[in-house]
Amino acid sequence: MTTATLKRYGFQAMGVPCEIQIYDSSRINARQRIQELAREVSRLDKKYSRYRRDSFITEINLSAGSKLGIKIDTETRGILNHALKCFEESEGLFDVTAGALYRLWDFRQARIPAQDSIDKVLRSVGFHKLSWQGQRLHLPAGMELDLGGIVKEYAADAAAKMARRMGIQHGLINLGGDFAVIGEQPGERPWTVGIANPGERRSMMAKIDLSAGGLASSGDYERYFELNGERYSHILNPKTGWPSKGLRAVSVAANLCTVAGSFATIAMLKPENEAIAWLEESGLPHVYMTNAEQIAGPALKQESATPAAEPAAESL
Amino acid sequence: MKPFRQRSKSLLALSSTALAIPGIASGDAPPPQTTLSYKFSNYNEDDMSRSQVPFGSLERYDIDVHQFRLLTPVGRDYSLQIDANHENMSGASPWFTTAGTNGSPIINMSGASGITDERSELAVGVRYYLSDGSIGGAVGYSEENDYRATYFSFSGQKTINEGMTTVSVGISHSADDIFPTDAAIFNRVRNADKQSSSAVISISQIINQRSTFQLAGSLTEQSGFLSDPYKFRDVRPDNKTQIALSGAYRYFVVNADAALHTDYRYYHDDFGVSSHTLSVAWHQNLGNRWQLVPNLRYYSQSAADFYTNIDDFLKPLTEFQSSDYRLSAYGAFSGGASIVASINDWTATLTAERYVADHKHSAYAVTQPGAALVSYTRVSLGFDFTF
Repeated sequence: MTTATLKRYGFQAMGVPCEIQIYDSSRINARQRIQELAREVSRLDKKYSRYRRDSFITEINLSAGSKLGIKIDTETRGILNHALKCFEESEGLFDVTAGALYRLWDFRQARIPAQDSIDKVLRSVGFHKLSWQGQRLHLPAGMELDLGGIVKEYAADAAAKMARRMGIQHGLINLGGDFAVIGEQPGERPWTVGIANPGERRSMMAKIDLSAGGLASSGDYERYFELNGERYSHILNPKTGWPSKGLRAVSVAANLCTVAGSFATIAMLKPENEAIAWLEESGLPHVYMTNAEQIAGPALKQESATPAAEPAAESL
Repeated sequence: MKPFRQRSKSLLALSSTALAIPGIASGDAPPPQTTLSYKFSNYNEDDMSRSQVPFGSLERYDIDVHQFRLLTPVGRDYSLQIDANHENMSGASPWFTTAGTNGSPIINMSGASGITDERSELAVGVRYYLSDGSIGGAVGYSEENDYRATYFSFSGQKTINEGMTTVSVGISHSADDIFPTDAAIFNRVRNADKQSSSAVISISQIINQRSTFQLAGSLTEQSGFLSDPYKFRDVRPDNKTQIALSGAYRYFVVNADAALHTDYRYYHDDFGVSSHTLSVAWHQNLGNRWQLVPNLRYYSQSAADFYTNIDDFLKPLTEFQSSDYRLSAYGAFSGGASIVASINDWTATLTAERYVADHKHSAYAVTQPGAALVSYTRVSLGFDFTF
């Protein structure tokens, strides 16, 4: 019997580079299985991407203001239900109905929108203005849902779950820095994942060991602009309509990548002190960078620690 | 693999909704962790008054209850539940009633020095989880020095309508043996048995993101010795059919971070007893670790066809009669509160409840006011440890 070795396969989805690694003895077999997992990720990308005209989320957003509403499926309802919980747990800071705000702030042009237009958009922002009865969802006119802050992490969990159903025991899903563990490495070894430094993209801010669950990061990585010495992060506060001024970056490990992602996003939206206290109270492993570029958190691994002997992975 | 401990309320809340999204959810799933629970309760009936009981003990039942439970996942698809209960009771219960000088009933209590008894119960249940439902079965055995019960149950539940509706069905059967103490001395029945079979169906519907509704119906058929062997003159039919219909509505009030629970139950049996129960509870979250749950309940029932508040010793033994206050027409109010604290892997619940029954509170016509209606105080303290 040939021993299983690590196989990796990279692809592009959800606007980010993705990679799936699994242990398998057969190269052909591994490729087929990983491609099937990649198809699951693309399915969710196609369904929930706001940038696709044929996506379901575009269809939902086009229904805004319609008295009939739109019929939603179980998966979308599940995601919305989680989004509602995020809204409640963050006291309104994590709000998937703030999609229109992101259209207003143009981070490539480095321009601050007029306060009038921010105020106008804010009138159609607010999860509590959304309603659903049975299978029908009603969006008030002008509202735009952006499920991007949940779907990428959910896709990592869904792919990991599918992999386990396929019988894969050891593997890791990486969707642009959001990780879900299929199962730890053979010999009960954790996966060591690196977290990029928001200051310098090529350097590492920290490493976290993962045996189960997932890890997600949120930060103003490259997507911000500076104007007259002021830094404008792409993370927008749905209450004020202005960029949030909390932590620069945060990574959280949890029982699911989706849960980790929700914690990371909420932490980014809170004022720095509150965010740090809230993360601490969660009891979850995490690491963050403050506005003053200080890196801290209970999950911080000493850089001097000997890196785990990572086996060379075979690219497929 | 080290499981992630569910430390904060936010983590618990966000995990539960994330785990319910279809791509992650494995339909119904066994509990993710093992829970060990212990609860102590004291149930204390108010003493009778000397005007009702001219001689003998005034003290009624005082019961201490210890309940243990273990609920644990077994493999990926099964869960195992073990329940062990132990009760110590002492006190006395009404034995027979006679008419006093003014015609109102006089109660004669059983046992001059009161009754002491113990009850022990063990039940074991297994559940198998499918993609959209679960099936389970349980067996149990309970014993006290004059009563033995053996029972089993099966139940199944299935989620339909894209997860919006859950239908549950269940059946159960209990075979009981009754062998009263001091049967020879008091000319009580020496040995008797009783069979109960029941079927239940319920439908739970998610209405929207804040509210759910549940409807349930049950049918129970009892046969055998249904009388109270300790009462001097208690003759009841040896068949009884019971039906119950209930509705439950849950509404989450976002602004208050609280949930309103309202429940209603209608009951009817062919002894002639009908009842209504209405209860309301408010589950108020207080910060991340505390919850306060005040509740109020109203209950009222009609009298059984053969209820009499004064035992008629001249009636032939073939005719039905009972002076059991539980078969009289009355109403009862109860109110209480629970306080729940969740700290790390521990949950502690402290509950206090006061119950007062009176024929004056009855919603039904009262022709013969029940004697010896009970009022009680119940306090309990429970701990759950999850690991």
